[in-house]
Amino acid sequence: MRRNVLSAAALACTAVLATAVPAFADGPSPVPDTTAAPTDSGEQAAETGPSPVPSDRGAAEATPAPAEDTDGVTVVPRGAPDTGDAPVAGQSDGDGLLIGGGAAAVLAAGGVAVFVVRRRASGA
Amino acid sequence: MTPFSRRAVVAVAVACLAAGCGGSGSADDGPAATETPGNRSPAAAGSPVSGPRPLARSVPVGLEIPSIAVDTPVVRLGLAQDRTVEVPPITADDPAGWYRYSPTPGRPGPSVILGHVTVGAHGDGVFRHLARLRRDDGITVRLENGTAAEFAVTSVRTVAKAAFPTEDVYGDTARPELRLITCGGPLEDGEYRDNVIVFAALRATAP
Repeated sequence: MRRNVLSAAALACTAVLATAVPAFADGPSPVPDTTAAPTDSGEQAAETGPSPVPSDRGAAEATPAPAEDTDGVTVVPRGAPDTGDAPVAGQSDGDGLLIGGGAAAVLAAGGVAVFVVRRRASGA
Repeated sequence: MTPFSRRAVVAVAVACLAAGCGGSGSADDGPAATETPGNRSPAAAGSPVSGPRPLARSVPVGLEIPSIAVDTPVVRLGLAQDRTVEVPPITADDPAGWYRYSPTPGRPGPSVILGHVTVGAHGDGVFRHLARLRRDDGITVRLENGTAAEFAVTSVRTVAKAAFPTEDVYGDTARPELRLITCGGPLEDGEYRDNVIVFAALRATAP
């Protein structure tokens, strides 16, 4: 009985140690490998890119930017801007009236000319 | 084996299983940890952008658009009391205005400049012919520090004010961009129904 208890305790200790060792070993091996892979590929992509922007970005991140240097809209206005004070009635309408009146005068003159020519041609 | 020792062995086996499950749980955390912001792709972070190098921050003082004969000073605009954007003054030879809560031209992000299409009794506004701009037309913004940012038009949109595309206009962009805004469309009850918005991207810088 006593030997059984002792052997069970020894087995339990062994089991705990056996599970604890992989847990300690787990840290350095698989997890960083999976996290390191995307980082490496990201760096590689940046290095093979056409411009040295990523390195500049790193430098920019190192130095704190001034508060007003935001690189983005800090306050988004409400609604649409009202950027047109309607023209005073008479300016563009006046232009239209002038053009319309001119066209009507030309038409009237043409009509009169046709009337006169036809009357003369008929000998009346 | 006595019943007691059998129970002990079963207990140890259960403990081993429990420990094994805990181990696999921590392994699952590994891939999740790779989704942290530091591991985002460069495109998502918006860093590597082709094109000219952004300019240092300096407020705009002048605007030239040769294709529609615009050469105007630029004033600063903020917010009105109703939280809409301020607009330039209604005057003869009205200036354009830069929205000061947007990036300065040549900095990453959308720099916003507004101008009137008409200025009441004074006639045409500085942006009277903004809708005539076409893709690749040049826009030059002179900055206070003596540098200049040259933009190329990418698109011109006429949108109803009721459906103003706030995100398209004010949303973040990775590269330096420019937005020119004025009114357009038909007059309804003395007000323009639409906005004309010019979208442009930085093409060159000087000096």
